[in-house]
Amino acid sequence: MRRGAPAVVFFVVAGLVPLFVRDAFLLDALVFILIWGASAAAWNVAGGYAGQVSLGHSAFFGVGAYAAALLATRWQVSPWLGLVVGALVATIVGLVIGYLSNRLRGPYFVLATIAFSQVLLIVGSRWRGFTAGSEGIPVPFRPGFWTLGIADKRVWVWIVLALAVIIYLVELYLEGSRRGYQLAAVREDEDAALSLGVPARALKVAAITVSAALTAVCGALWAQYVGFVDPFYVFSVDLSVRFALAAIIGGLGTALGPFLGSLLVTTLETYLRAQFGGIGAGLIGIYLIIYGVILILVVRFVPEGLTGWLATRVARRAATGAG
Amino acid sequence: MPLAQLLASTLLLGGIYALIAVGLTLIFGVMRVVNFAHGEFLMLGMYLAFWAFSLLHADPYLTLVVSLPLFFVLGWVSYGAVMRPVVHTSHNVQVFTTVGLSIVLQNVALVLWTADARFLRTDYYAAAVRVAGAVFNWAQLVAFAVAVLLTAGLFAFMRWTYTGKVMRATAQDRQAAALMGIDTNRVYAITWAVGIVCVGAAGVLLAPIYPVYPTAGLQFVLIAYVSVVLGGLGDMAGALIAAVVVAAVEVIGSYVIGTAWKEVLYLLLFIGILVVRPAGLFGQRGAEALGS
Repeated sequence: MRRGAPAVVFFVVAGLVPLFVRDAFLLDALVFILIWGASAAAWNVAGGYAGQVSLGHSAFFGVGAYAAALLATRWQVSPWLGLVVGALVATIVGLVIGYLSNRLRGPYFVLATIAFSQVLLIVGSRWRGFTAGSEGIPVPFRPGFWTLGIADKRVWVWIVLALAVIIYLVELYLEGSRRGYQLAAVREDEDAALSLGVPARALKVAAITVSAALTAVCGALWAQYVGFVDPFYVFSVDLSVRFALAAIIGGLGTALGPFLGSLLVTTLETYLRAQFGGIGAGLIGIYLIIYGVILILVVRFVPEGLTGWLATRVARRAATGAG
Repeated sequence: MPLAQLLASTLLLGGIYALIAVGLTLIFGVMRVVNFAHGEFLMLGMYLAFWAFSLLHADPYLTLVVSLPLFFVLGWVSYGAVMRPVVHTSHNVQVFTTVGLSIVLQNVALVLWTADARFLRTDYYAAAVRVAGAVFNWAQLVAFAVAVLLTAGLFAFMRWTYTGKVMRATAQDRQAAALMGIDTNRVYAITWAVGIVCVGAAGVLLAPIYPVYPTAGLQFVLIAYVSVVLGGLGDMAGALIAAVVVAAVEVIGSYVIGTAWKEVLYLLLFIGILVVRPAGLFGQRGAEALGS
């Protein structure tokens, strides 16, 4: 159980913060840390554990966001149902994308996922009759838990925390189960795994599909929290990169990594936005320049990510302490 | 719109797409790296033309001459600083390194020049020539001619110069090339720089025709990805033909179903190719990245 201890600490602290902190700015930051952490963890199911590195995950996030927003605005359906519908639609989309692109490896797979998300971007921004087109959709605020019209940010922290924990548990399952080991085998050497009778293709498609559904749930909650769905944001390549970035910084294929990555990246973003936001919108770019530089440096110098780096540090200290 | 006009538009568009795609496919062919920052170098080319025009009143086609050595240096420096350490690492590391580079370049442009779309308007902006019932926009015509010239130059360079031969040898088998005494690291640096020169020149040529803004590269680079995969990643002649095919899809698509949905057409073409024949229409290159 010692391996899971940092995660327990992380989630318990996140859950306790709303009891002591009333500051809306800090709570808002925490909600985003958890939402982006959960999205990165969902990405990690495909990108980290299955080795299916995608830069099109915004497709699923956007589907979730649109499902929740459209159901709420057009049919006055509860966003909780919208969330389920979003997850179902994303499951189907994920199945299609996973099935069609599962022969592809490396950069080909990346390109295919980008293309899929771009198709959805065009559908979202041009199909005016259904999605309201490029103006985007304001999500109506109807007070109540059932309609997710919650003004209290503390409740939001707990809602997204629950989602984060669920996705974390999915990741844990992949670390300790037979399927998880098979998936790791496929990631490390697909041909070898196939020759041992591991159903590589089915597993890869399953990983993408699960990852898609979880990402869509994140998107649906995000839409409700933020209150506005803009196709150029929710389907953007930038958003896909954000998921991947948090997971890579935290540690690819580690359960807690995406959350730590998100903690780091989102905190930096929130801080710099607060610093530069008022001066001129262009200066927001400074944050993104730092973000790009971090990405380049991390993949070059610490490809195992923050958790991997910390783990080797701890192991080395334990070894020297024993010896 | 008559057939002649569709053909003319296809050809003009295809020529510029080809120049972007050729650089991308060259880099992939030799280095086995998909450059996700390709569009950002295009954007820098557009800004170069824009600033040269608005500050120095330099004609974009004059800027082109300066841009070639400038982008070679930019390519050389960015290779040394960013790409050199990751040339021999895994695909994932390379993908995210170029993605990181793209984020940095895009936002440097955003911070320096804001997100406003800028327009480079030469006096001959709207000038057009009429040949055989088709209207040729002057800026497009020149862009096309120069793009074709540069592409032809690149092909000649690859075919007849020693450096070109060395690059092709490295593309065929990097280990054998290294064993033959070829300094592959230098070859990679030259390849990267030449690829950047191509796309930078394309940017300069596109600046008088399209609005200039920090993310302007994305729409063109998507088209380049489509052409490059369609032609077979790493296959330069294939990319050339594919660029014209993609241009035809775009032009005919805009004519038949309207401009709003034209991107969907080539994206679907792209996905179709990736699914059905990922090695491209002509090539077998890059097959090791495809699995079965």
